Parts: sequence; C-alpha cells; structure tokens
Amino acid sequence: MALIGSTRRSRATRVPPVVLAFVLIPLLAEAFWVFWPALQGFYLSLTSWDGLAAPKFVGLGNYSEMVHDAVFRTAAINTVLWLLLFGGLSAALGLGAAMLLQKERRGIGFYRAALFLPVVFSLVATALVWQAMYQPDGLINNVLEAVGLGGWKHAWLADQDTAFYAVIVPALWRQVGYVMVLYLAGLKGIDPALYEAAKVDGASRWQQFRFVTLPQLRSVNAVVLSVIVIDSLRSFDVVWALTRGGPYHSSELLSTYMYSTAFQSLRLGYGSALAVVIFVLAFGVIVSYLVRAFREAD
Amino acid sequence: MTAFNATRRRFLIGTGAVGAGALLSSCVTQSPSASGGKSGGPVTLQSNLSSPQAKTAMEQIVAAFGKRGDTKAQLNTVASETFRTQLPTYLTSANPPDAYTWYPGSVAESYAKKDLLLELDDIWTKPELAGYSDALKKLCTSASSGKKVFVPTSYYWWGMFYRKSNFAKWGVQEPKTWDEFLDLCDKLKSKGVAPIGLGAGGDTPWVASAWFDYLNIRVNGATYHRELLAGKHRFDDPEVRKVFDKWDEARPYFDPNGTAIPFQDATTALLQGRTGMMLIGTFFADAAPKDALGDLDFFQFPIIDPKVPVAEEAPTDGYFASARTKRADGVKELLRYLATAESQELYIKSSSGTVLPTHPDAKDAGTPLVAKGRKLVESAAEITQFFNRDSSDALQPTADTALVHYLAKPKEIGSILTTWQRSAQKIWSQ
Repeated sequence: MALIGSTRRSRATRVPPVVLAFVLIPLLAEAFWVFWPALQGFYLSLTSWDGLAAPKFVGLGNYSEMVHDAVFRTAAINTVLWLLLFGGLSAALGLGAAMLLQKERRGIGFYRAALFLPVVFSLVATALVWQAMYQPDGLINNVLEAVGLGGWKHAWLADQDTAFYAVIVPALWRQVGYVMVLYLAGLKGIDPALYEAAKVDGASRWQQFRFVTLPQLRSVNAVVLSVIVIDSLRSFDVVWALTRGGPYHSSELLSTYMYSTAFQSLRLGYGSALAVVIFVLAFGVIVSYLVRAFREAD
Repeated sequence: MTAFNATRRRFLIGTGAVGAGALLSSCVTQSPSASGGKSGGPVTLQSNLSSPQAKTAMEQIVAAFGKRGDTKAQLNTVASETFRTQLPTYLTSANPPDAYTWYPGSVAESYAKKDLLLELDDIWTKPELAGYSDALKKLCTSASSGKKVFVPTSYYWWGMFYRKSNFAKWGVQEPKTWDEFLDLCDKLKSKGVAPIGLGAGGDTPWVASAWFDYLNIRVNGATYHRELLAGKHRFDDPEVRKVFDKWDEARPYFDPNGTAIPFQDATTALLQGRTGMMLIGTFFADAAPKDALGDLDFFQFPIIDPKVPVAEEAPTDGYFASARTKRADGVKELLRYLATAESQELYIKSSSGTVLPTHPDAKDAGTPLVAKGRKLVESAAEITQFFNRDSSDALQPTADTALVHYLAKPKEIGSILTTWQRSAQKIWSQ
C-alpha cells in the first residue's frame, strides 16, 4: 500500500533531474569508491592471493587458519586490551580534564590548548619523538638515572614486557585532548539550573556528578564511544612507527598484523580475512551500542 | 537564468562523463591486454635509492643519459619501504613505470616466473654487457625461461667492520678463526667495551639476518643455505640448530642494546668506540661522517669449519624493466647506458663510493678499504646475496621475528625454530 502510494505521489510531483543527479552521483561515487572495494575485500578474504597471480578461491580456509594461528590470538587479545586500556583511560582522563577545565578562568584557554595540541600533530611525527625518548640512551632512561632510579632503566620498545604499554602512552597522550574537547562541548550544553536545583536539594559534589552530569552527557557518550572504538580498532600508525608490532609480535594489534600479512608477507587473502574480522568487531560494537541507546531513548 | 541553467546542466553532464571515464579506466586495470598510456615521452625510472647521496647520484646519471641522445629518462625516487610494498602493484598495472631499481636472483625470479619482466637477451650481447662475468650472467638469467631479465650495475660486501684507531688503542688484531674471534671478544669485554654491535632494533630488524646467513654458510655451507631458504630443508632441522649453537658462543659478547637500536644508531656507537665491531654491509658508510671513513676497516667473518668452501655475502644491485612497458626500445637504451663503465663510475663518484661496479673496466673508488673488499669477494668460492634476496621479501619478516626472539630468549630456541618453520611454510606454500 505504502509503495503504491509513494509511486502515485512521485508521479504527481516529478523529481527535478538536478535533485536526482545530486542524489545519484554521490551514490555512484560512494558505491564505486567504498562499497565495491569493501565487497571485493570480502571476496578476497575467501581466496589465497599473492598480489601477482590470479586469486585462488579457498572458501573459508583463511578463517579456519585463523583459529589455529597463535599470532592472531595474541593480536586479538592485544586489541581487546588496547580497546579497554586506551579506550577506558582516554574516556576517563578526557572527562577528568574536561571537568577540571570547564569553568571559565583566567588562562584556562592556555591549558585547554596545551592538552589539545597533540591532536594537531601527525601521529607518525609524534611517534618518532616518543621513539627518541624511549631509546636506551634517550630522555626517559636519562631522567630515571638522574633521579636515582637507574635500576629501572629499560629498552622500553625492545622488551616484550614493556613494548605494548610503551606504545599505548603516546596514543593516549594524543587521544585525551580529543576526548576532552568532546566532553567540554557536552558540559557546556548542560543547563546550569539543574546544578542549582541539585544544590538546593543538598546534593554533594559527587552526587551532582553522578546524578546530573553523567546522565546529561549521555548523547556525548555515544559519540565518544564510537570515536574510541573506531580509533582503537584502526590504531595502526603509532604502533607501526614505534615497534611494527614487535618484538616478536608482543605489541601486535589486529591492524598491524593485517598490514604485515598483506603487504610484507604478501598473503593478501589472509590479510583481507583479518580486515573482515576487524570490520565485524568495529561494526558489532557500535551497532549494539546504538541499538541500546535508541531503545533507551524510546 | 537560462544561461545559468545550461551551464549547470553542462557541468553535471561533465561530472557524469568524468565518473564514467573513471569507471572505464578501472576496467582497463583489470585487463592486461588493454593499452592505456602513450608510447612517447621519457622513460620512467622508479628508484628506491632515497638516501641523499644516492639520490643525487641517480639524478646526475639520469641527466647525463638525457644529454647523450634523443631518449630522455625521468627519475621517480620513492621511499624504500613504499617502493617494496608497491612493486607488485607497479608491475601488474596496465600502465606501469618502465624501469626499476631492484635485485637479481630469486627476488627477480619471482616476477619473471609470472612474465612480468622485460626480456633483455638482446642487450646482453651488446658491447656494454658482453664483458660481464659469467657469474653475473648466471645471476641475471631467469631459471624458468632461460632469458636474461636483469642488468646489474654494482655490488657490495658484508664484513666485520671496526675502527683502526680503536683496535690500535685496545691493542687487538683482526682474528682469522672462530676461536681467535671469541678471544678478541673476551679481550674487548674485559676493557669495558661491548664487543659486537648489532643494530637490529627500530625499523631495521633484518640486520640480524646477516648473522644467521654468515653462521649458516660457515657451518653448513652456501649450498645448504640456499636450499634452506628455498624451502628444501626445514628451519627445525638439526643443521639449523647447529647454527644457533655457534651463535650461543658469541651471544654473550653482543651489545645488550643490539635489538633496541636501528643500525644507524649502532653505527654511531661503533664510531664512538662504545662497541668494538659490527657485522654490516658497506651501505652503513652512508651514515658515517666523511672524516671517519678513512679510519674504517673490516675483517672477513671468521672461518668456523675449514672444510666448508668459503662463501661471502655480496649482494648485487641493478635494474629490471616491466614486460608491459610501452617504450621497450627506450628502456633498453637506458639499461645499456646504466651498464656502461661511464655511468657506474659517475654513480660511485657522486655517492659514498663504497660499492663496486659490475662493469669489468669501470674503476672503483680506489681506497684501500674498497680494494680489500674487492679481494674478499673475488677470492670467495661462492657468493650469497642476503636472506631476502636469496629467498623472498615475504620470508624476511619470519626471520626477523625468529632472530629477535632468539636474541631476547635464547633458551626458547626449540620452539622459536618450530614457529619459524610454520610461518615459513605459509610463505613457501602460496
């Protein structure tokens, strides 16, 4: 019924060709540059391909290989750990920084700018600076030596026990400023009357935070969560620039493992299968959150 | 108003046409037979020689080639990591760059097998290349087609490099045998110097493969080494285990930061006397200050088993061309020029000058260091290239992981070799 209705209506009011063009051309471009390659990626994940000869169809062979692949397991666990540590800490620290810096005071702009500054830098350039600091005779070890903690000196990026965490720190350093800006915008949008009402009711500072600020930030939280999940799963540049997933896969993420299997080992089929897994993970997390958020909104 | 409408409509039609054009051209990349580019214009030379000295040298060669005749060449210098990952894409595209810097042997063979390289038999009979040694002829011939596919222009050698002034200060001499070598390490360690620098950290983990290569060709011989890398033996075989038993004897003398710093930093440590010596190729001299060059010397990797024929690691560099080039005649002219003594001497003069030319009449830099290097390579019974060049670029990361793991956790060597074999199997089987 609805369909018939809509056809009749469209016949009645003809869509001007210009409007059609404005809809169809971007759709074509999107289909050609985004959907088609994505579909090809799915197809490649079912093949064995070295980039030179024609891809050989292997069915779900790549996915069953994944089940027995110890490096994949390490990379998957690291990715989850990265999501929790990088995501959790950047959300918590970003919110904390936003709370601290939300009141307009003299010179507050300087502090906000300082925290936001790392976002402006290219992550690869950032990583190179941190790499110099992590060197065996770099800044961090020299400072440790100077304050009498010479025993803590470490080859931070070359030790399998510290490499992963040493890579998270620069990534966090950057992300905190970004999340802070998102939360600052959210905090600005909260009606001050709510706080006054809470104060009248005798709410403590913690209660104000728990029962006014947090619920009011719900819509910002959705944005922050999407940003964090996407940024975590696509985290690649900082890890690649600092350790290339090494030493011996100890700081490997799914994204770096995908890159190295596809473009270093030239196993493009298996690399595509890894990319599909990353896609499913990112898509799954975000969709499930959005569905829940919409249901609550209803 | 109507005029405005008309132009807008024309604009939209134009956009549509551009979109359709993009669609069509994408179809072209799918079918190799379609002809995309025009056959005129300069010959494009894709180069991965991006270090400042080498890049300048290449620019001068291309300029000199352009002055000789009608054919001109255009140099595209690409960062080496990008070049390596993009090379399969270049070669399989419908309208590829014409000529490339790269390596002969099994690396070139992997492309020649798939008919992606231009056959060069005719230019190998020309005066520029006719005098090249038989070893080079063999190296540049594809095993699958029997045709020549490569033009070599230079080679260099690997050795145990040190500073003459430091060895004199510490009162030590070059060792010949493995035992003398271990004695030397002992002496240096007692003087508070880290005897062996490595530089397998950062983005140069592949440097560690030099140790694997050399220990393997000294313990098991070059033939076994090549077969192992081609997948005819296994990394968890007892022969390979023997390599690591020998490595265990030298491992205590390695710089503890060996896997934490890249070879450029390890070079600095060597020049500053914080490490005693370093197994490295002559390319490291590009990172050394000019005044230190005269103080550098090297010795041959010590002999372990005198019964094993002496092999040395001496990688050859040069050029190949795409089979799909539209300018085959121009490319061949360029490759012939690159094979001349004149262009090779020009390259040596403009770069750090530690490579050796492949043309028999071309003069090298003439320093005592280069003369010693030439003697080392010429007296070797067999030549190996390097881990990736004797196998494939795809196998190299498996070695990097295994060797860095071994240097950090030497006791786990058993499981490391099992894992290495498993990941190598995946590369060989595809």
